[in-house]
Amino acid sequence: MLELPTLTLATWGLATALTLFLLLRIFLLRLYRTYPLFTLYLGTNLLQTIIGIYLYQTYGFRTVYGYRMAWTTQAFVVIARGLAAAEICYRILGKFKGVWALAIRLLIACAGIVLISTLYFGIRSYKLAVITLDMSLEASIATWIVGLLVFARYYDVAMERETGMVGLGLGLLSCCKLLNDLVLEKYVQAYLNSWNYVSSAAFVGILLLWNWALRRPVTCAVPELLLNSAQVYQLLIPQVNRKLSALNQQLSQFWRAESSKP
Amino acid sequence: MNAVFYFAAVAAGLALVGLLFWAVRGASQRKSFDHSGGLDNVPSPVNNMAQIRQSMDPADFEFAKAKGGRELPARLRRERRRVTLLYLAAIRKDFQHSLRVARIIAVLSPEVSGSQEYERIRLAMIFRWRLQMIKIRLLLGLIPQPQLTALWQMAASMAMQMEETMAKLGERAALAAELALQSEKQ
Repeated sequence: MLELPTLTLATWGLATALTLFLLLRIFLLRLYRTYPLFTLYLGTNLLQTIIGIYLYQTYGFRTVYGYRMAWTTQAFVVIARGLAAAEICYRILGKFKGVWALAIRLLIACAGIVLISTLYFGIRSYKLAVITLDMSLEASIATWIVGLLVFARYYDVAMERETGMVGLGLGLLSCCKLLNDLVLEKYVQAYLNSWNYVSSAAFVGILLLWNWALRRPVTCAVPELLLNSAQVYQLLIPQVNRKLSALNQQLSQFWRAESSKP
Repeated sequence: MNAVFYFAAVAAGLALVGLLFWAVRGASQRKSFDHSGGLDNVPSPVNNMAQIRQSMDPADFEFAKAKGGRELPARLRRERRRVTLLYLAAIRKDFQHSLRVARIIAVLSPEVSGSQEYERIRLAMIFRWRLQMIKIRLLLGLIPQPQLTALWQMAASMAMQMEETMAKLGERAALAAELALQSEKQ
């Protein structure tokens, strides 16, 4: 552990303390029933820290084995974060069955396209492949969360403040990590130490946000909805779209009429 | 990593952060979960169509010119352009209200058609863009009165048609509930 810079150790320690505090709060307030996958993600993160301490104490900070193991555990953390993001998505849109079915298809497609394109265009060398993979996963999680929140905004879907904050934190964390990885990918030698600080500082900031958001039980639960029959949608929406289309046609005609004036 | 892709990725990352805050800000502004307001308050047609129509009539300007000299029609034109812009804003409001009702219907529906939703988004975007163009033309001094009339009629008829259909659906739902109650009693 002596190989690690003091600032790295300090941010690492702070992040671990905040994670522990948040987990404790989650268990005391029984929030694990509301956010089981988010709790799993925090647990995975804590486990990664424990494994990291063991690895760096046993094998040192700059060994190949330590590097490989650290990135392997990181894969589990990113997957757990992806699951937490999916959970938040379901909590916000899940009760709106029709919109949820549409959103899930679109979000999976968008996140998939982002993942594949980042992997395809991003890989420069196998040495940096693991960073590219991390970047791709972060990009797809960020796209997923942003897409979800854009959906919620478009459909005027109200969400619990706590859920929104957890979602914001997950999205911000992925965006920060993505941008951080992009800078590292470009300036790998010069940025290596700073990359670690930025990554840890971003995580500490997000942990503070989550600690603040989950300071009390989820109080203002969104009530269960009584959905209309599918017939209502089938009857009304095509009418609305036809009218909108006619309205646009009218505007278009007006546009052409005005353009043809001398 | 390809330089073009690299800068595109950085730009996309920053855009994601911006979108994230924009979307969360919108969500935090929604205080209530009650969607009923949008359904109850179906847009009412704008009632001043006759006056707007008359205010834009060229004959009216000619009459003003004959009676009040050259300055009066110019002043009238300015004032009436302002009124027309307000009128356009009212049409836009009606249109947006109808869109909001459509979104509420979608949210409360167990099945949503991707193509219909996409079509509505596309049409709404085109509508907004064209409306802005019309506003610019109005500000430049062109007054497309007949087109505005058609625009208003369409917005109003859409609102009324939706109101009628919603009322019918309400009646059907009430009838179904009554039938269910009767069958339970038997």
